[in-house]
Amino acid sequence: MRPLVPLLFAAALRAGSAGAVNVEVLVQTPAGMPLADAAVLVEPLAGTPVRPRARAHAAIEQRGREFVPWMTVVQTGASVDFPNNDTIRHHVYSFSEPKRFEIKLYAGKPGQPVVFDKPGRVDIGCNIHDWMEAHVLVVDTPYFARTGADGRAAITSVPAGRYRVRPWHPLQKAAGAPQDIEVDDAPARMTLVLDARPRQTRPHSEDDPDRY
Amino acid sequence: MSSRSLRHRIAIVFVGLLVLVMGLVLALVHHSSARIVERETRRELAVGAKVFQRLLEQNQRQLETAAAVLSADFAFREAIATQDQPTVRSVIRNHGQRIHAQVMMVADTDGKLIATTQRASASGDPFPFPDLLAAAEAQGRSAGLRQMRNGQLYQVVLVPILAPTRIAWVAMGFHVDDRWASDMAGVTGLGVRIVRPGMPGALASSGASDSAHDASVNVPLDGGLQAELRLPVAQVQAPFEQLQGRLLGVIAAAVAVFAAGSVMLAGRIVRPLNDLSAAARRIAQGDYAQPLPPAPRDEIGQLAGSFEQMRMEIASREERIARLAYVDALTDLPNRTRFLEAFGLLTPGAGGAVMVVNVDRFALINNALGHLVGDRLLRAVAGQLQPLVPPGGMLARLWGDQFAFLLEGAGLDAARRFADTVLAALRDPVTLDGQRLDIEAGVGIALYPDDGLDAATLLRRAELALATAKRRHAGVAFAQETGGEPAHEQLSLIGDMRRALAAGEFTLAYQPKLALGSGRVVAVEALLRWQHPERGSIAPARFIPFAEQTGFIREITPWVLESSVRQAAAWHAAGLDIAVSANLSTLDLLDPHLGRRVRDLLDRYAVPARRLCLEITESALMDDPALAQAHLDELAGLGIKLSIDDYGVGQASLAYLKSLPVDELKLDRSFITAITESPRNAAIVESTIMLSHALGLTVVAEGVETPAELRWLREHGCDIAQGYGIGRPMTAAQLQDWLADFRLGTVA
Repeated sequence: MRPLVPLLFAAALRAGSAGAVNVEVLVQTPAGMPLADAAVLVEPLAGTPVRPRARAHAAIEQRGREFVPWMTVVQTGASVDFPNNDTIRHHVYSFSEPKRFEIKLYAGKPGQPVVFDKPGRVDIGCNIHDWMEAHVLVVDTPYFARTGADGRAAITSVPAGRYRVRPWHPLQKAAGAPQDIEVDDAPARMTLVLDARPRQTRPHSEDDPDRY
Repeated sequence: MSSRSLRHRIAIVFVGLLVLVMGLVLALVHHSSARIVERETRRELAVGAKVFQRLLEQNQRQLETAAAVLSADFAFREAIATQDQPTVRSVIRNHGQRIHAQVMMVADTDGKLIATTQRASASGDPFPFPDLLAAAEAQGRSAGLRQMRNGQLYQVVLVPILAPTRIAWVAMGFHVDDRWASDMAGVTGLGVRIVRPGMPGALASSGASDSAHDASVNVPLDGGLQAELRLPVAQVQAPFEQLQGRLLGVIAAAVAVFAAGSVMLAGRIVRPLNDLSAAARRIAQGDYAQPLPPAPRDEIGQLAGSFEQMRMEIASREERIARLAYVDALTDLPNRTRFLEAFGLLTPGAGGAVMVVNVDRFALINNALGHLVGDRLLRAVAGQLQPLVPPGGMLARLWGDQFAFLLEGAGLDAARRFADTVLAALRDPVTLDGQRLDIEAGVGIALYPDDGLDAATLLRRAELALATAKRRHAGVAFAQETGGEPAHEQLSLIGDMRRALAAGEFTLAYQPKLALGSGRVVAVEALLRWQHPERGSIAPARFIPFAEQTGFIREITPWVLESSVRQAAAWHAAGLDIAVSANLSTLDLLDPHLGRRVRDLLDRYAVPARRLCLEITESALMDDPALAQAHLDELAGLGIKLSIDDYGVGQASLAYLKSLPVDELKLDRSFITAITESPRNAAIVESTIMLSHALGLTVVAEGVETPAELRWLREHGCDIAQGYGIGRPMTAAQLQDWLADFRLGTVA
């Protein structure tokens, strides 16, 4: 375990600045490997006021016959665009309970974004390219972030108060143990452990256009 | 059981060898076939098992692929994602039909059934094959043979439904039934049965035979199942059995052809051998005449040739031997042996005659003119007799000048007629070297079966008859005229006589000899008597001639002499002055030991020689006069009186008798019987008495029966008389009484 005191001290140095990072989380696998593409949710506990946010917008583009990003966290009610940057058409669909939709064969940017109005997990695929997948986690809290390749996620503009920090990963084997934190001016840093398989890129059957 | 026929043995050996070789071939083929069948069976099973496994895998992969394709169908995934039971059930039924799956099940990622086409299961039940789920979790998909709750066997394929993450599992079951097994059987060529070890019955079966002769291999399957792959061995064996059947047919045909061939060959080898063997049997039986049948020009032919040569040489040798054995070399007539054999070959029971012919005075001619002339004479006689032989008859030369005819079927009269013909033929003079020889012959005839049954007896009887004929100068005499006893009685008599001598059945009777001058009994004649225990008293005339013929008299005479001498000694000792006369036969007289034996007797019993008188017949003297005279001189030298018996019957002249040392002459009874009636007889007797006295001989009259005869004899100077008229023969004891009575004058 890393010594917590110097971290807390450093966070306190940058407290108070608007839009500043005040929660930093490192998500690791139980083996100690940093876990990329994990969602880190900071959920206010009872008594902590939730600051409303403007309706958010996100995009999951299709590029190189892959969904980018692979994992997206949005707040409930957020709308997501699925711009197609490939030269071929895609057929995006979701059979997940929180949001079922289907955007039949299209190129470019579909006319209507998809609004995710229920919290939960939505798995998105392409009916033409079986290997393409994207995951959307629809959450109620406005405070969340996605870990980078180094397993770190920085959540900004979290008002002071008591929160529960929870990791999530599309390939997690079990729900990760949440940690409660007290957010104040000083940035909070923590390490969460989540048992999940890291993302594995599924092979493209069409990688080589000249193959056929 | 071994055949003794060469032909069979050859055939058996040939065919047996062929059968042996063919049997070995067949056994080898059978053995190899069995091994090939075994290997083929193993190979086919192994190949079949490999094919089966490969097929099963391919099948499974295809089903997996099909299932994966199906599960990727968007509409299908969309329907599943609705989680709406009726919809899901409907879509799995629909899509199941697309790929001909009989059972479809959808389970959530936690292993709980969402929907199923199986009636017995309901949503919420756990997926029935958690092991398949576990395998699919690890490998993305899984498949296996599983028994459903309905007891049926299915090939179950479990694939995920991705949207794009796994939202559910879909299991598709393909019925593994008898048809499936039959399809597998069709490809593998093996009978297929899917069983659960330890459980009876098959879950799926191609319906192949469950024969115990099947070879089988077990392929373990997942889910604790087992595939039994069966191969009927008969199926593999069939071509080999067909091959063996054909081979057997070929062998049987070969054996038949071989058997026929070897029998024919053996026949060709053996036939000449059998011919040879038959010829050898013929030769063994004495038939040399038949030449051998022609034989092939091989080894057997050479053997046959040698055999033929042997046959001819044996034939010629036997002819020569037979000639030597059966033919008289001098006259070329059959010899005595041949004659006896020919007699043996006569029809039994038929009558006939044996005729012996003898040339008179042949010895004289032989001596006078030499043997060469004698031989030529015999050949000439043979030449004269030869043409006379009747058909079926035989002429043989017995020995010397003795010839014999065998006349089959001839009776007494025919034999006599034939004898006359023979004598007439021989009456023709024979001329040898210009010398005319008059020959005469005698014939003796014996008839069979009257005179005897065997050739030897008949010849002997015929020869006796011949002697009689010569004696009578009659030319021809028959055996029955010689008065011989029937042959069988004579044969029994000779045995009887020997026994009688030992048993003391012979006795001596003494007949008084009366001196007519003094009226005193001066001597007795010892006469042999035979008291047979069964036949009673046997007359001397019945056995004495026979004893003389057979020579047995030489055994009787010593007994007679000893008994006579002993009796003479007894009387001498008793003071009786009586001489004892004993009779000697021809044979006795020729006995060189006669003189010594008589002397010994006289010495032993101390009897004066003059008390013994020996009587000899005229004929006994005539047989060998010189030897007779020598022996008589010796006896006379001892001082014994000698007497000529039966004088007057023979031809001996008084002059001849005078040259002998004889003391006494006994006139034959035939003269005495008629002296009182026949003056002629009386004259002969009277002159004989006178002549005898003139020669110094005592005259004894035999057979005196009446007082008249006795008186006549006394008146005419006869010295001694003997006969029933004086005294019968009697025992020694009776004689003493008789003598006492006689002296008292009671007898005379």
